[in-house]
Amino acid sequence: MNPLSQTLSHASRIGVIARHAFTQLVRMKVFYFLAFFAVILIASNFFNLPQHEGPESAGINILRSIKSWSLGAMTLFSVVLSIVATALLLPKDVEDRTLYTILAKPVPRLDYLAGKLLGVLLLVFVSLAMMDVLMTGILHLRTNMVLADQMAMAEARSWPAADIALLKSDILAQGPTASLQGAVFSVFLRATIIASMAMLISTFSSSTLFTTIISFLIYFIGHFQADARAAYLTQEAGTSDSFWMRGISLLISLVLPDFQLFNVIDAVIEGQVMPLMILGKLTLIGLFYFVFYVIASWFVFARKEF
Amino acid sequence: MTQPTPAVEIRHLVKDFKTSFKRQPLRAVDDVSIRIMPGEVYGLIGPNGSGKSTTMKALLGLVAPTSGECSIFGKDSLKVDSRNEVGFLPENPYFYKHLSGEETLEFYGKLCGIKGVKLRGRVKELLELVDLSGASHRRIGGYSKGMLQRIGLAQALIQEPRLVILDEPTAGVDPVGSREIRDLIFKLKGQGITVFLCSHLLEQVQEVCDHVGIIFQGKMVKEGRLEDLIAIEDQTELVMKDASPELVARIEEMIAKDGSASLVRSGKPRTTLERLFLRETRKQEGKN
Repeated sequence: MNPLSQTLSHASRIGVIARHAFTQLVRMKVFYFLAFFAVILIASNFFNLPQHEGPESAGINILRSIKSWSLGAMTLFSVVLSIVATALLLPKDVEDRTLYTILAKPVPRLDYLAGKLLGVLLLVFVSLAMMDVLMTGILHLRTNMVLADQMAMAEARSWPAADIALLKSDILAQGPTASLQGAVFSVFLRATIIASMAMLISTFSSSTLFTTIISFLIYFIGHFQADARAAYLTQEAGTSDSFWMRGISLLISLVLPDFQLFNVIDAVIEGQVMPLMILGKLTLIGLFYFVFYVIASWFVFARKEF
Repeated sequence: MTQPTPAVEIRHLVKDFKTSFKRQPLRAVDDVSIRIMPGEVYGLIGPNGSGKSTTMKALLGLVAPTSGECSIFGKDSLKVDSRNEVGFLPENPYFYKHLSGEETLEFYGKLCGIKGVKLRGRVKELLELVDLSGASHRRIGGYSKGMLQRIGLAQALIQEPRLVILDEPTAGVDPVGSREIRDLIFKLKGQGITVFLCSHLLEQVQEVCDHVGIIFQGKMVKEGRLEDLIAIEDQTELVMKDASPELVARIEEMIAKDGSASLVRSGKPRTTLERLFLRETRKQEGKN
């Protein structure tokens, strides 16, 4: 078999396993949570936060609330789905002995792992895409309503044209922007890292529960590891430039991802623009951890006996 | 004439498992060697925990040998390409419950690189072979034990392998289902497919296998052609139909007159309980 057809055969097998894992999860009725998301989205329309700004800010808070609740729910669902689905798939195949029948076929173990992980990621991607469509739709409608109200208010108060244009751009910045799509994609990238990490844990863990707990722990540690690393290592070494301390710091950040990098999502909720450079950086980080964890998982899984 | 490549070649296989509490590893398989030529039906028999399944798993690359080598049609078992020619049915298999029988076979077929019209044709053919065409659209979750074994056998055959490995193929299956699986093994044998099965149901092995190996506490204690192993060399069996008591008496008299031969026993041969069960249930089926 020539290298090209070999690559195609790997890709095709990974595709078969990924589609199967996706179907398996879909038939577990995971999409029911979309109804829950819709309720959250509708409810977020009615959260009237105490307002201290002037009348020109009326309605903007609602738009922020919709984005905040939606991205919060997306984060929650994507993190839970990534961890639980990944933690479930591998041990289930071992317990049911379906893994024997798969690995007894000409299926390399790396193809199996990559397929399972991609199946989970496909599910997370489709879920986020559906939630994104719902959020963008509602946000679009609501932005138009706020815009109409504010324009009427500004005209009634005879605001200068320049102020009206500024107000309009301020409101539109809180609506469905390209940065908002970037934020949703960042949520997906974060889920990719978490699912890959859960995959690595499940290759040596003895139970789904263990994988789930450890994955959530690492997820939470990831939110403060950068601060802890900086504070602790600087304090210990006296200087952050020590060779060993920098090495240890690098090793920690290699194994434990720094989820603080994803705080840019909060800035987007506030209406700020997400620079393309940041999105590119997050994509590279996501890809790096995906490849790193998959290779580490393969390293463990290739030696595993069943 | 050159000797054909053996379908299965296990050379001095040793497998130790680490134990959590003891420092001494547990030796599951101890210097086992097996050679199965193409077209043979080989039965590995032994009590539970004797190392049968571990031997099969080592042959499939699911466990790595501590020492020794395993190969399938000359290809090292630890290499993925050795699995192109083999189909495996594990003991008490469970398949993805969310898939139907047809989808299950399609999934395994695609894993072996079969697609399109060829895959659909193969799936249909196998569903007919294992008599599951009527249940092909039903979810596996609703299948009985016997149906699971049969769909398991079908998935093992999906890529038309030259070797089929069956681990306790009739465990937990009722006599009718067991008989159907046995008939399937005969069909495979007829098609020239090599079968390597393990079981602790001796009667079954005797019926289908032409070579057997007896494994006990990880060691191969006896191996060879079934006929050679079970024949009682100094005895001869004569089974007659509609023989009159006079004829039987005459034969007995002749034996008595012979200086060297002696009569060990005579009487009516007995059917097995299994055959009786199958005959009676079929009679009832005929009445309904």
